Amino acid sequence: MRSLELTLSRRRLLAGAAGLSFAAGAAGLWSHVRAAPRITITEGNMQPMPIALPDFLGGALPDPAMARGVTQIITSNLQRSGLFAPIDQAAYIEKITNIDQVRFPDWRQINAQALVTGTISRQPDGRLGARFRLWDVFAAQYLDGKEYSTPPDNWRRIAHMISDAIYERLTGEKGYFDSRIVFIDESGSKERRVKRLAIMDQDGANVHYLTRGDDLVLTPRFSPTSQEITYMSYNQGQPRVYLLNIESGQREVVGNFPNMTFSPRFAPDGQRVIMSLQQGGNANIFLMDLRSKATTRLTDTSAIDTAPSFSPDGSRICFESDRGGRQQIYVMGANGGPAQRISFSDGAYSTPVWSPRGDYIAFTKQAQGRFAIGIMKPDGSGERILTDGYHNEGPTFSPNGRVVMFFRDPGGSAGPSLFTVDVTGRNEQRVPSPSYASDPAWSPLLR
Amino acid sequence: MSTGRTISTSGVSTSRRDAWTLGASIAVHVIVLGWGALTFAARPLTSDTSPMPIDIISVSEFTELTAGSRNAPKAQPAKPVAEQLGAPKPPDDPAAKVAKTEVHAATDKAAELPEPKPPTPEKKQADPQRDLIAEAIKKDLAKPEPKKAEQKSEPKKAEAKPEKKVEPKVEPKTPPKKDQPKFDPRQVEALLDKRTPQRLAATGDVVNSNVGIGAPNASSNQLSLSEIDAFRRHLRNCWNPPAGAPTNKRIVVPITIRLKMDRTLAAQPEVEMRATDAYSLAMVESARRAIIACQPYTMFSLPKYEIWKELSIDFDPVEMFGG
Repeated sequence: MRSLELTLSRRRLLAGAAGLSFAAGAAGLWSHVRAAPRITITEGNMQPMPIALPDFLGGALPDPAMARGVTQIITSNLQRSGLFAPIDQAAYIEKITNIDQVRFPDWRQINAQALVTGTISRQPDGRLGARFRLWDVFAAQYLDGKEYSTPPDNWRRIAHMISDAIYERLTGEKGYFDSRIVFIDESGSKERRVKRLAIMDQDGANVHYLTRGDDLVLTPRFSPTSQEITYMSYNQGQPRVYLLNIESGQREVVGNFPNMTFSPRFAPDGQRVIMSLQQGGNANIFLMDLRSKATTRLTDTSAIDTAPSFSPDGSRICFESDRGGRQQIYVMGANGGPAQRISFSDGAYSTPVWSPRGDYIAFTKQAQGRFAIGIMKPDGSGERILTDGYHNEGPTFSPNGRVVMFFRDPGGSAGPSLFTVDVTGRNEQRVPSPSYASDPAWSPLLR
Repeated sequence: MSTGRTISTSGVSTSRRDAWTLGASIAVHVIVLGWGALTFAARPLTSDTSPMPIDIISVSEFTELTAGSRNAPKAQPAKPVAEQLGAPKPPDDPAAKVAKTEVHAATDKAAELPEPKPPTPEKKQADPQRDLIAEAIKKDLAKPEPKKAEQKSEPKKAEAKPEKKVEPKVEPKTPPKKDQPKFDPRQVEALLDKRTPQRLAATGDVVNSNVGIGAPNASSNQLSLSEIDAFRRHLRNCWNPPAGAPTNKRIVVPITIRLKMDRTLAAQPEVEMRATDAYSLAMVESARRAIIACQPYTMFSLPKYEIWKELSIDFDPVEMFGG
C-alpha cells in the first residue's frame, strides 16, 4: 500500500513535471510568437555632453573663493577633455542650496544631461572636506557621489579627483586629471637657453623646478609605480642616465657605462630601466635592473637602436632603428630577439611610445620637411596622424591612453610649448607653462 | 542477518518500481522533448524585419518589364481602409463597362489617362467639396453674371440629374477657357472651405482598420522599413555613446521600452543586461538617456500601435568603435 502510494506520488510528480515542461514549452513558443520587434542602433551622435556645474557650497572656509575655485577647476578639466560641454552658469534656473535635493525639470529645461552638486568645508581637525553628487538629469536619478579629505593647501587635488570620478562615471574609463607632467622648462634667449627639469599638474598649475639649470637635461620619464623619474643629463660633460626621487630630491646615475647612455624609460614594473648605450657609431638597447644593477643587452646591430618603450603588459618593446636605412619603428619581445618592423610609410619614424591601454603606439613622423604626431596599432595598421606642423615631437600618453601630449616648436625666435591632442585628433589644446617647455612625460594617476 | 534479508527483498521490490518509473520517466521525457523538437523545428528562426529582395536586371530586361503586356492579369488593388459601414454600392452596370471600353478605344489621349470608372449617382452626391467650391463660385459671381454662371456650372448639372448616365465622350469636352469665371484675387476668401474642421470616418462595405490586408505584399503586421529607419535615425541623434570604449570588447545594451498611444514612454526603459564594469554601466546609462530624451516617437502610425507598443532595442556602437 505504501509502495502504491509512493508510485502514485511519483506518477503525480512525473505528470506534474511533464505538465510543467509542456507549459514551459508552450510559454516559450508563445513568447517567441509575441516577441516585440527588435531594432539595433549601431551608431550614435558623439558630441560633448552638456553638463551643469553650479558652484560648490562652501561653509566656514579659510578662503571663501576656494569653493568657486574647485568648481572652476572641475569645469576646466572636463571642458579640456573635449568630451563635456559645461553649461554657462548664467543659464541655470535652480540655485542649489542642498546638494542632495535637485529639481530635475529645471536642469532638463537648459538641456543639461548631467549635473554635479557639491560642498566643501573645513573639518574640526583643520583639514578640508569635500563631497559631491553626480546626477543623471534625464533619468532623474543619482549616479555617483564621493567624499574627500585633504590638507587645505592640497585643495586643487580634490578638484582633480572629483573630475576623475565624474569622467569615469560618464565615459566608462579612468580619468587622467589627478596626474602630473614632468618636462624641460626652457628660458633665456635661443643662443643661451637654460633648460631645467620641472614638474607641474596636468593643467599647468603648481610648477616646481627639480634642477637648477646648470646642466643640460633631456628626455625625463616617469616611473609607473613610484615618485621617481629617469632622465638624461650632460653632467660633467658626459651624457648619462639619472634617477631622481621627486619627494627627496635624491639623484643617482643609472649604471656605470663607459660610453654615453640616453633615451631611458622605466619598465612597467618600475624596477627596471631600458635605455640606449652608445658603442662607437652605433647604439644598442640595454635593460638594467635597478636593484641588482644587472644589465641585459637586448639588441646587437650595427645600427642606431634607440627610444625603447615597453608595452603595458611588459611582454614587448617598441623602439626606433635605422637598421633598414632610415629611422623606422620596430617591435620585439621583452627579452630581445628578432624585431619586426611595423612602420612602412614614406618618412622617418621616431620616439615611439606605447599607450597605457596597449592599443596604440604614438610616434613622431618626419616627412616632406614637416614633423607630425601620429598613432598606429602595435601591428603597424591603422596609422593616423593627429597633428602636423613645422616641428612637433616627443609624444607621451595620458594615464588612460586617451590623450597624447607633445611639444611644438613654431620655429624662428620663439621656443617650444606643450600641447595635448586626443586620440581622435579632433581636440587639440595648449597646455599653459611658465615659459617655453619641451620633452613632456605624463605621470600615472597619483595615489 | 535478518536486516540484510529484509533489505534484499525490499531491494527487489524497489528495483521493479524503479524500472517502471524509469521507463515512464523516459517515455514522458521522450514525448515532451519530441514534441518540443517538432514544434520548434517547424518554426524556424526568422528575422523580425523581412529581407528586401533585390533583383539585378539589365537595361533591356528593365525596358521589357516596363513595356507592359496586353494580356497581363489585372492587379487587385488593396482593400480600402474603412472605419464604419457605408451605404451599399449598387451592383456594377454591365452597360457602363461597355461604355468604358468604348471610351478607351475612342481616342489615343484617353488611353494615357487612368482607367475611368463609371460614375455612380451616390459618388456624385458624396463629393461635397467640389459642390461647395462650385457653389461658392456661383454665389460669388451670382451678382455680376447670374445667368452665365448657372449655365456653365457643370457640376451643378450633374447634381441635378444624378440618374442620367454620363456619356464618357462628354467628359473631355470641358467648357472653353473664355467661359470660365474670372479669377479675382480679392475674392479668394470666398473659395475657402468655411466648414468647421471635422474628421470624416472612412466608410466601406466591411469595417477594415488594417491598411495592408488584401494587398499582395501586405506587411501590416510589422513595422515598415521606413518606420524602422526613421526610428533609428531619431534615436541615433539622441544617443551619445560614452567615449571610453574598450578596444577588445564589444558591448551591446539590450533595452525594452513600452510606449503609450501618445508615443511617449509608458514606463522606464528596461535594461536586459547587468553592467559588470564602468564602461558597460556608462553605456547602459547613455542608452537610457537617449530613449528618454528622444520621446515622443512620432514616426509610428497609430493603427500599428499593437506592434510598436513594445520594442526591443539593441544599442551596439559597432559602426563607431568597431567590432
